[in-house]
Amino acid sequence: MTDPHDELTPAERRAFEALPREAKPPAGLEDRTVALLRSRGVLAVPLRPVRGSPRRWQPAWLVGALAASLALFASGFAAGQYLGARSATIAAAIGLGSSLAERTQHVQRTGSEYVAALSSLIQERDTSDAAARVHATQTALDALGAAAREVARLAPDDPLAGAVLRGLTERRRATQAPAAQRAVVWY
Amino acid sequence: MTPQGAAPAVAEPERVLAEQVLAGDELAFRQLYRRYTPRLHQLVLRLVGWREADAEDAVQDTWLKATERLGSFRWESSFGTWLCAIGLNVVREQARRRSRRPEVDWPEDHDPPQAAPLERVEPLDLERAVAGLPEGYRTVLVLHDVEGFTHEEIGAALGIAAGTSKSQLFWARQAVRAALGGRQKGSLA
Repeated sequence: MTDPHDELTPAERRAFEALPREAKPPAGLEDRTVALLRSRGVLAVPLRPVRGSPRRWQPAWLVGALAASLALFASGFAAGQYLGARSATIAAAIGLGSSLAERTQHVQRTGSEYVAALSSLIQERDTSDAAARVHATQTALDALGAAAREVARLAPDDPLAGAVLRGLTERRRATQAPAAQRAVVWY
Repeated sequence: MTPQGAAPAVAEPERVLAEQVLAGDELAFRQLYRRYTPRLHQLVLRLVGWREADAEDAVQDTWLKATERLGSFRWESSFGTWLCAIGLNVVREQARRRSRRPEVDWPEDHDPPQAAPLERVEPLDLERAVAGLPEGYRTVLVLHDVEGFTHEEIGAALGIAAGTSKSQLFWARQAVRAALGGRQKGSLA
């Protein structure tokens, strides 16, 4: 038993129209969803929390980023080789685990994540956002520099670590970037 | 499904963002999430009868499924409409997982509530009355009277005939009117 001509009264229609069409999502749901998508490999692991302006990249930056990522990966591998000779207290302090194998795996894993994060940006070739590009470049180089310093402490004679540090020092002198723009992000 | 007045004015930005999401761009995903989740969240809240935990699960599952299917989305509808259609299916899947089959019809021997159309309705009372409907009827009423979908679209989304959607809407409205009439008389708890 239905009435095919059943219509809402004006008052009923107004009441339905007055119902809200949007509701504020629960706090933290966005981050939980992003984390889940990262764990499933849908979203790349970012260099830093993604807030504010979009990340954009230039081909010149991509070349540098690729070189930096390869250098860091090599540095990470070297660090893994030398970790066995380091004091266990340092490893414990930064949560690398108790065994050489665990610490080596940690270095390889985090190095690979860094490489993956940079590589995931290669498709973003077009940009007009110079500020974001400069910030991204500096962020990646700061991370590379920090890793190279640790490798140099572990292996003072390692030529690759020395070359990376010298290159970064020369770049810093050339660009004279303000200290505030050289914020180290994730290490 | 094309809800009245719900299509974004410009579709291209969503498409660009979607392509970036497919490439793994987190910022693009967050932009899409922030743009469309308030509407999605409100929809699923109503569909699940304001059970907030279920709504939160539904929103998250909707986005997971949306990102899985984004590559095959043909952009023949707006992104928001497509997302809400996924949300609708997620809510129905939730109901099935809870072993509470969505109610499609009133029992055969059930008489519809008898109620006259209302001349005065408070939105908050209306919201409560809708939340109190049986699940299947609530779904049809929300999709038609709140979201603006047609019976043909509802039928396609729910896998029922358009006539069934009309019938369920009639009964749902009658139940809402009965509930609100009782409340206005002070006889509804």
